[in-house]
Amino acid sequence: MYIELKNINKSYGDFKASDNVNLEIEKGRLVALLGPSGSGKTTILRMIAGLERPDSGEIIIDGKVVNDIPASERGIGFVFQSYALFRYMTVFDNIAFGLKVRKMNKAAIKERVTELIKLIGLEGFENRYPSQLSGGQRQRVAFARALAPNPQVLLLDEPFAAIDAKVRQELRKWLKDMIHKLGVTGIFVTHDQDEAIEVSDEIIVTNKGRVEQSGTPIDIYRNPTTAFTSAFFGVTSELKDYKAFKSFDEVDEYDRAIVRPEFVKITKKSEVQKYKSSAVEGRVETVEFRGNSIEITVSCNGSIFSARRSLDEPAVEVGETVDVFIYRIFITHGDSVKLLKNNAVREETVVI
Amino acid sequence: MSAENKQVISREGSTDIHAQTAGSKAVKYILITLSVVFLFVMLVMPLITVIYEAFRKGLVPYLEAVSDPDTISALLLTLEATVIAVVINTVFGLFAAWAISKFRFHGKKLLVTLIDLPVTVSPIIAGLIFVLTFGRQSAIYPFLESIDFMVVYAVPGIILATVFVTFPFISREILPVLEAQGTDEEEAAALMGTKGFTIFRRITLPHIKWALLYGIVLCAARAMGEFGAVSVLSGHLRGKTVTLPLQVEILFGDNKFMPAFAVSSILVVLAIVILIVRSIVEYIGKRRGEK
Repeated sequence: MYIELKNINKSYGDFKASDNVNLEIEKGRLVALLGPSGSGKTTILRMIAGLERPDSGEIIIDGKVVNDIPASERGIGFVFQSYALFRYMTVFDNIAFGLKVRKMNKAAIKERVTELIKLIGLEGFENRYPSQLSGGQRQRVAFARALAPNPQVLLLDEPFAAIDAKVRQELRKWLKDMIHKLGVTGIFVTHDQDEAIEVSDEIIVTNKGRVEQSGTPIDIYRNPTTAFTSAFFGVTSELKDYKAFKSFDEVDEYDRAIVRPEFVKITKKSEVQKYKSSAVEGRVETVEFRGNSIEITVSCNGSIFSARRSLDEPAVEVGETVDVFIYRIFITHGDSVKLLKNNAVREETVVI
Repeated sequence: MSAENKQVISREGSTDIHAQTAGSKAVKYILITLSVVFLFVMLVMPLITVIYEAFRKGLVPYLEAVSDPDTISALLLTLEATVIAVVINTVFGLFAAWAISKFRFHGKKLLVTLIDLPVTVSPIIAGLIFVLTFGRQSAIYPFLESIDFMVVYAVPGIILATVFVTFPFISREILPVLEAQGTDEEEAAALMGTKGFTIFRRITLPHIKWALLYGIVLCAARAMGEFGAVSVLSGHLRGKTVTLPLQVEILFGDNKFMPAFAVSSILVVLAIVILIVRSIVEYIGKRRGEK
């Protein structure tokens, strides 16, 4: 493992920002630290960078314990949430700063900075000041500045938080390509699950100072192993009484029953529903156009939850009575989660 | 919000906004007149009086009064105390502002409060504190006497009093700027391997430059005019421990009105110079800030 955190603890007064954090990151991967605000993700990032010291535990980079190595000697590039560009320096001087500190000769600095400016696509902006750039441009300058001294690890704190939606989309893709092209190990902090799923090779989910789960985006999305992750990913709704829905196994003790829109199938009375005997009737509460799909909320057995229908399917209307069939449910109990599959689907596969 | 709503708002916004915020024209002129009259009575009239009284007997007596050896020595002492106070307070102000804005520590609030103490406490009391601390009744007086270092009724006392009275000015100007700036840029520089003083010189100083200059100007202005604390510590030894404001007081007390006004005019000129410097600093600082 290239970066390892072992039993890391960190408190600010009474607040436990890191509670026995353990994690491993492979070289060359782009990893997302994902969690709600206050979950300790930024603290982890700052400790890896050396901007904060853990109270206990070891931080290992490339086989070396770096706890006592100052931030500047860890070979890490850091992109701040605010970008923290030096506002009294031009784009060129910002990117050159880390190289000047290293006493590189002028010609080499010029060459490297020019190369980076080309990489971030800001040719002609060398003599601008940060205040004369757009949010996306500033972000790219911050990125180039962090990369200038050739770090092995690039850390990014909420890199897209301050950028508008359209540019954010482009930058995400750009960042992912760039990191893989350069072969550095990247870790970025985000509270946006779509961003984490879209950009990262691996997601580390944090909550209340602990690491909840880590794995590939698809793995975490499909197989949440903790109650927190099951409710955190996707647009989740809660069922008041899941036993009212037909053909699920009974679980004696549980706290919450969680469904995602893709777990729910809504069919009009006039349509064919293969599992009609296991479906229950519900009432359409709202119908909203979501661009690529229609989002429908239904009330059914006292619960209200959402589902999607494709634009090609016949439209449903508010107040309409529909058949609701649920494929899967996450059942949580304490910290653990269990996936219940609808037995109607299971029986059929057995028959075939 | 629908497009229709937006249009309504922008149409309302286009009606004269002053009419809604400023009230009637009468209010406008009353306020302007009041301000002008107030400024005239409080500021312009006294200024004219000072200059008029100083030159009432003509230029020659004025020059005689101004070039009096006691006055010259008072001017030099005032400048000396001002320069030293500015230097000491700049260093102290930078340290204090830096410590307060960049570190978390116990007693931070107390330190901030203490910095303000000299502006809140009466200068006379400040003077008395130093008399009690360094004067004959003090426990350290025998030691000071043994090294022949007199504070009370001597130049060091005057400098001490000036420094004390003016020390919040610079740190108070820098603090808000440092606090607003945060520590991100410094952290970014540190991550790239920059060391402490270079970070200060390359990153922090450009930020606080104008606030610092402004603070220095204010500090200098206040230092020159300081009367209360200095008066207590000075002992009024003519030609030795008398600053310009004290010299004015002495001349005035001796019923030498013309010379008193003449010496005052030096202070007025210094004050005007400082005002001009201040305006320039403010103007340049603002222009830089907009860039």
